[in-house]
Amino acid sequence: MKTHKALASGAVEDALRDLRDRTLARLDGDFARLVYLASTRDYNSGRYEHDGLSFRFTKQAAEQALRSAHREVFVSLALSTLKHLVAELQQYVRSGCAQPAELLTSWTDSEAYRVLPPAQDDPLTVKLFMSNVKIALAIVGRSWREDPPGRDPLCASQLPPPAR
Amino acid sequence: MTGTFTLLAIGLLLIALLAVLLRRTESVEDERFSQLSNDSFSGSLRFEERWKDIVERIFGLEDLDFVVSQGSKELLRLFLSERKRIALCWLSEIRNQARTAMRFHVSHARRSRKVVALLELRVALDYFSIRLKCELIAFVLLLRGPVALRGMVGQASHLAEQLRGLLEVASQTEAFAGKTTTQQ
Repeated sequence: MKTHKALASGAVEDALRDLRDRTLARLDGDFARLVYLASTRDYNSGRYEHDGLSFRFTKQAAEQALRSAHREVFVSLALSTLKHLVAELQQYVRSGCAQPAELLTSWTDSEAYRVLPPAQDDPLTVKLFMSNVKIALAIVGRSWREDPPGRDPLCASQLPPPAR
Repeated sequence: MTGTFTLLAIGLLLIALLAVLLRRTESVEDERFSQLSNDSFSGSLRFEERWKDIVERIFGLEDLDFVVSQGSKELLRLFLSERKRIALCWLSEIRNQARTAMRFHVSHARRSRKVVALLELRVALDYFSIRLKCELIAFVLLLRGPVALRGMVGQASHLAEQLRGLLEVASQTEAFAGKTTTQQ
């Protein structure tokens, strides 16, 4: 039983390492990583799915690895300073993941960033994150109006989608 | 005569129902506290670090200085109102956790044979002190507005520490009550 558990835990570790090295490392900044990881979650079931990882490891190991990476990136951003969060958001907007104006409008008006936190995280941390993103968006929006960002070819939305 | 018996039977039934409901409420509280203590103590270090970071973010000066450096009154207003909202959420969370811990402690102390008066006094004092500080911080926040957040990090950290102490004592009561009830 212990060996089985140890094997399972080892598989999750391997899957996590693989996810970090092959996918997350290619993304420009933690914000892009958070957007990507949140998008691997099925919003109906709350399950994380990634065909590539499931193929290399098991479905369970892939799901655990995605869940763990999502939480890790989220907590690091949620508890970071506002200055760091603004820099991350600016990097994400500059990386050309969407039309900057569209992204800022959509995120500000429809609060699309609400889907980014992992489920079942500490509610206060989630509230703090939402609040900080709201402020960061206002800061980035203001600075962008003065100096519109350029586009960068590498971004989360241009990565191959986690085929389902 | 039959009417009296019927009324008596209804009365007894209601008392039994009340007892069942009370027992259920206690078990729900126990469950809530177990979840709370699991969240807090299973990853004790994680919990402590997370709360320290949250307090620092809400009440610290670093973010405020950054927003001030942007030179926009509108941004500053947004930042202060958001921080005030989060600070009130944080206070409400502290209050809820303290209340859950206290209810749990009281329900277990009731079942326990040996009640340590000093421990009970300490728990009661801690609980009322936490509640009082929460009300005080909330009052200052509401009265002076979000500007009052400046420099509150020390008081907020102390409050979080105090809550942690209360949760620890309450969880010790669980172990203690468990021992004494099995002896019965």
